[in-house]
Amino acid sequence: MSAAPGAKASSAALIASLRAIVGAGGVLARPEELLVYECDGLTHHRGQPSAVVLPRETAEVAAVVRACNAAGVPFVPRGAGTGLSGGAVALEGAVVIECQRMNRVLEIDPEDRVAVVQPGVVNADLSKAAAPHGLLFAPDPSSQQACTVGGNVAENSGGPHTLKYGTTTNHVLALELVLPSGEVVRLGSRGGAPAGYDLVGAVVGSEGTLGIVTEATVRLVPIPEAVETLLGIFPDVVSACRAVGGIIRAGLVPAALEIVDRRTIAAVEASVYAAGLPLDAGAVLLVELDGPRVAVTGQVERVRALASEAGATRVEVARDAAERQRFWRARKGAFGAMGRLAPDLYVHDAVVPRTKLPEVLARVCEIGDRHGLRLSNVFHAGDGNLHPNISFDRRDPDEMRRVLAAGEEILRTCVEAGGVISGEHGIGTEKQDFMGLLFGEADLDAMRRLRDAFDPGHVCNPGKIFPTTRFCVESDPKARGYERVELA
Amino acid sequence: MIPQAALARLREAVGAEGLLEHAPLELEGARPELTLAPADGPALGRALGALSELGLAALVRGAGTQLALGNPPRRADLVLSTARLRGIEVLDAEEGVARVRAGTPLSELREAAAACGWEPPLDPLRPEATLGGVLAAGTPGPRGLGFGRPRDAVLGLDTALASGERTRCGGRVVKNVTGYDLAKLYVGSLGTLAVIEAAWLRLRPRPEETRLLVASLASKGVAAGTEAARLPSARIVAVANALLAPRLDPAAPAGHPLALIELAGDASVVAADARELASRLGAASGAPDTLERLREGLSDLPGEAALRARLDVRPSRLAACAAALVGAPLLLQPGLASVHVWLPLGEDPQAAGGPGAADAVARAFDRLAEAARAGGGRFVVEAAPLRAKLGRDVFGEAPEGLALMQALKQRFDPQGVLNPGRFVGGI
Repeated sequence: MSAAPGAKASSAALIASLRAIVGAGGVLARPEELLVYECDGLTHHRGQPSAVVLPRETAEVAAVVRACNAAGVPFVPRGAGTGLSGGAVALEGAVVIECQRMNRVLEIDPEDRVAVVQPGVVNADLSKAAAPHGLLFAPDPSSQQACTVGGNVAENSGGPHTLKYGTTTNHVLALELVLPSGEVVRLGSRGGAPAGYDLVGAVVGSEGTLGIVTEATVRLVPIPEAVETLLGIFPDVVSACRAVGGIIRAGLVPAALEIVDRRTIAAVEASVYAAGLPLDAGAVLLVELDGPRVAVTGQVERVRALASEAGATRVEVARDAAERQRFWRARKGAFGAMGRLAPDLYVHDAVVPRTKLPEVLARVCEIGDRHGLRLSNVFHAGDGNLHPNISFDRRDPDEMRRVLAAGEEILRTCVEAGGVISGEHGIGTEKQDFMGLLFGEADLDAMRRLRDAFDPGHVCNPGKIFPTTRFCVESDPKARGYERVELA
Repeated sequence: MIPQAALARLREAVGAEGLLEHAPLELEGARPELTLAPADGPALGRALGALSELGLAALVRGAGTQLALGNPPRRADLVLSTARLRGIEVLDAEEGVARVRAGTPLSELREAAAACGWEPPLDPLRPEATLGGVLAAGTPGPRGLGFGRPRDAVLGLDTALASGERTRCGGRVVKNVTGYDLAKLYVGSLGTLAVIEAAWLRLRPRPEETRLLVASLASKGVAAGTEAARLPSARIVAVANALLAPRLDPAAPAGHPLALIELAGDASVVAADARELASRLGAASGAPDTLERLREGLSDLPGEAALRARLDVRPSRLAACAAALVGAPLLLQPGLASVHVWLPLGEDPQAAGGPGAADAVARAFDRLAEAARAGGGRFVVEAAPLRAKLGRDVFGEAPEGLALMQALKQRFDPQGVLNPGRFVGGI
């Protein structure tokens, strides 16, 4: 959507008032400065913000929000911009409120086992800060070296260890939030019991549409006494999935259960992330067990037996930290390895009931092949959370069209299997028009009631999550910005 | 009295078997003479639609085990019962998930899940408690240390809004960020935003080993309890002070606090933790009825002359909170950062309304507020005679965010059909 006529003068006035709040160095407004803020990790959805503002404290965020409201301009919170669903993209000429300068760990309380942090604290840095106390922050998305806690809260981020530890929502106890009105409110409690409605639970995962988190009190968990990582080599994905089912049925709850498919193995082994995996393997299963040493030792043997029973041709147990890292390279290097095949990488995020994984994966591969795409799979098998990766070039309009067509088919396949369209990346602009696959008008209307209670004017991250219905995403790569065209 | 025309409209919504006229019930000051018990989701939707249309207010009820919780309803023309929305629709032993109707007693789910190696991570205080009731109240039972809060067990919810529209959120898979997490709002809302019709739940593997231990503690009750709650297999840690201890275990040495600890999980871990507790606290195996007594205590109705309250505090300030309540029977749950207390409301219940009784109630609420401050948290009066509730908020002082909560109520239930007045701040 292009800016309204006469917007330029008012935009200059808004930028002046933003500079007055955060200082000249805290506002970016030149086109070349704004370029990097046009998209997040989902590179084919773009929108140019009218400005980017970098506040340093809560009061500045509140003042920025009030200034935007006074100017009638919407705003979008942004952390590190590592999101994968377009959630941090500025639509309708919104001002981006980037929280990276609010990056202090305010408190680590080993007695209460909580940390109080500003939203711009990098996920991995929080665990580093907690480590001397024998504690860690459990959510560990693949982007944890860059992504921020504020972004994790907005997206309810997961990661490979959610099977045992849950997602971000299980670890957020209290929030300070700048409401879309500019008012500041503190929600939740340090002990975890909500006071009234569980507004913290409602805000986590709301994709920055209910306000801007300016402080989070999060739970820290003890660093496990023992960690063991196993790598199982399987002839095919079906037998690897069978091993996962066997492990779960045995009552074991590993910290992670990850599968890498043959296509990904090939890509990884051809890249700098090479982990020494056999190229003829059909699938690799990574199992991480953690907890008290007395328990983990026995569990390693049980998992080894269950994997062999399911058809593993080889099961290795990491002998040391270096080997553990090598095993994880096969999993964590997947995105990088696929990324080197083409300029753009599209990571899907649907979830299916775990028992449906083999048949859904076969369908997903078939869909990718039929559309002539470079598609491979890594997935959180324990959660049933798929990550089909498609390497592509968004400058190639035909390939872009095929990527989107395949994506829609993948989502439909997963929903038909009893699943959902996003496990941890969010809806954003990417999947908003597929919300109807899961939810009817009354369901969406209930969600709108929540939105409207917080943000009646729809000024906070507008244009996300809810279906645009009459609109479709225009993927013409020549179009500057994130454009929408109305269907006839 | 509900006019005949309205009755006919309600009968049409739920069918003749779903409409029960009865003698007035005494429910928190309301005297409803009618219970609506829809047999399925569509009937629940029709019932709510009819209530909205007729401008009537309902007191929503499962098995009624937590009816004491909440402020007295501003209005309750009838009872809306979920009792007939009963049954386990799906119990998927491969996935470890279940879809269960709201009126199903949790004991039924527990039994069915156990038969295939799973357990629901919900721990109601009474066996007849229904899934819907446990989720609406949202408070964890003693096993909350191991299970987490009820919110954590829910994967998806089917709800009927006050308008009668039936909606759903979440799904059946264990990881899901598709749309707003409305289930978090509904769980713990005491039925004031929507009526839960059914839920998809996450189950947990049944523990390989479970052990119940009791330990009589000398001076350092709270500290010992806090340490016990950090053992990896600790699922319940409850510490009764010397005044409450005989209630949990009549055979325990008099005059000392008593810890009740349940360990569950991997057999080797349970054994190691039990050894640790034996050497550290002298803990020994407890009789199973100790656990029953704990649950009874936490759900009792203290009668006309006392109130029962829970304080949710900062974990590290549990002892400070308890110190502010010295002289009263106390139960501390370090893993949940909560303190349960029983406070007297005047010697003579017959004098209710007299100046002395009113003073006793005010004193009890003042003590709770003071103890909550000492603990850096809040209190909620979980059970009290009506006279103690009138003119007060059983949830204590208004929380920050109350304006947002009122806005939510306004948008979900503008007419005040669902439990009006029961929740925080009179929502």
